[in-house]
Amino acid sequence: MNTLMKTLMKTLVNRRSMRALFVIVSAALAGCVVGGGYDGGPGADYGGAGVDYGVDYYEPFGYDYGGWGPGYGVGPPRRGYDRGGYDRGGRGDGHVAPHPAYRPAAPSRSMPSLPSRPRGR
Amino acid sequence: MTGRWQLDHGVLARCSLGALLGVAMIASAAAASLLLPPLVQPASSEHHAGKVVWVDLVTPDLAGAKRFYGALFGWSFNDIHSGHTDYSVALLDGRPLGGLVQRAPPSGEPRQPAWLTFISVRDVAATERSILTHGGKLLMSPRNYAQRGRQAVFADPQGAVFAVLQSSSGDPPDVLAAPGEWIWSSVMARDAAQDAAFYQDVFGYEVFENPTDDGATHVVLSSDDYARASLNTLPADAARRHPHWLNFVRVTSASDTAARVVALGGRVLVQPFTDRHGGQVAVVADPAGAPFGLLEWAEADGQQDAK
Repeated sequence: MNTLMKTLMKTLVNRRSMRALFVIVSAALAGCVVGGGYDGGPGADYGGAGVDYGVDYYEPFGYDYGGWGPGYGVGPPRRGYDRGGYDRGGRGDGHVAPHPAYRPAAPSRSMPSLPSRPRGR
Repeated sequence: MTGRWQLDHGVLARCSLGALLGVAMIASAAAASLLLPPLVQPASSEHHAGKVVWVDLVTPDLAGAKRFYGALFGWSFNDIHSGHTDYSVALLDGRPLGGLVQRAPPSGEPRQPAWLTFISVRDVAATERSILTHGGKLLMSPRNYAQRGRQAVFADPQGAVFAVLQSSSGDPPDVLAAPGEWIWSSVMARDAAQDAAFYQDVFGYEVFENPTDDGATHVVLSSDDYARASLNTLPADAARRHPHWLNFVRVTSASDTAARVVALGGRVLVQPFTDRHGGQVAVVADPAGAPFGLLEWAEADGQQDAK
């Protein structure tokens, strides 16, 4: 009787162990799936799964850069840059440009520039 | 015999459980163990939402990239190896400037390496909701990195890819970048006005219209009363151009640096030209093809009395 009870107890413990094992393995597998990185995107590949740093962005190949004609400006404006004539409704000639998709800064706001404070001051 | 089998089976199950737990713990640790340096040391409470605070180069040739950028800008590198990742932190005078990560290019269609732009946010989850609401796309789900913070990668509605970073050590202060440091960023979009609306809605930028002579829309995105990036219409022959972010390193001479780029195996994509601030700008590519900009900027350009 005693032996039978011991066997029953061990079987019960084993079942619990196996259940716990199942839960852990399932959780680990779910974690692997969820932990995969990118979902894909427009014109780019996003592998990510199985790596420990998710950033692996490569640009599409074969596109041209530049082609910027005369007057094409990409750089930052200088501090105190004159916005006159380009503020919507602020041209003073009665012309009001079409409302853009964005909300333009108020004409009274001066054009911002880059920080000028040197490091360590 | 049955009792003995049950005993052995029990021991076996417990051993297997222990081994699996061990493997799972090691795997989890490896998956999350890339210890990136904090953005700011010592940590500060400064946050500049909307500021470009980090860049990562994804390249198939990490050693070649380190040689190139080290020779070009005098950067040094701290290597970090973890799991499947070889990552190197670029430094100038001991200050971290960005990361370089080795990745094999995807198979199939040819791709080219690129510098990925990280924009500071206060809350990645809220930013993700806003981006998705306004037509952007999630490319890499938010992930935490010890010391660094939480980051995720997105594409704007026109396809330009960028990342957001919620730094756990604060953001770098707003100071003038030294030569050899990243100083400026720009976005090239098919519809600059629509894209400006997206970035304004998501990051709260002030949008300043910026006159140029080509008749296309150019705006400046601003936060904390500083210019953070320009947003520009792609040239009209946009069939072979795709929307993208482009980051610029401050140089003392764009012409000299462009020539050095070529000598080191890179290419000039846009010859140096005088931009609206009066300094020269150029776009170049490293030997593996990753494009980046060069920008001359005089100290007086950013000062209040400059005209």
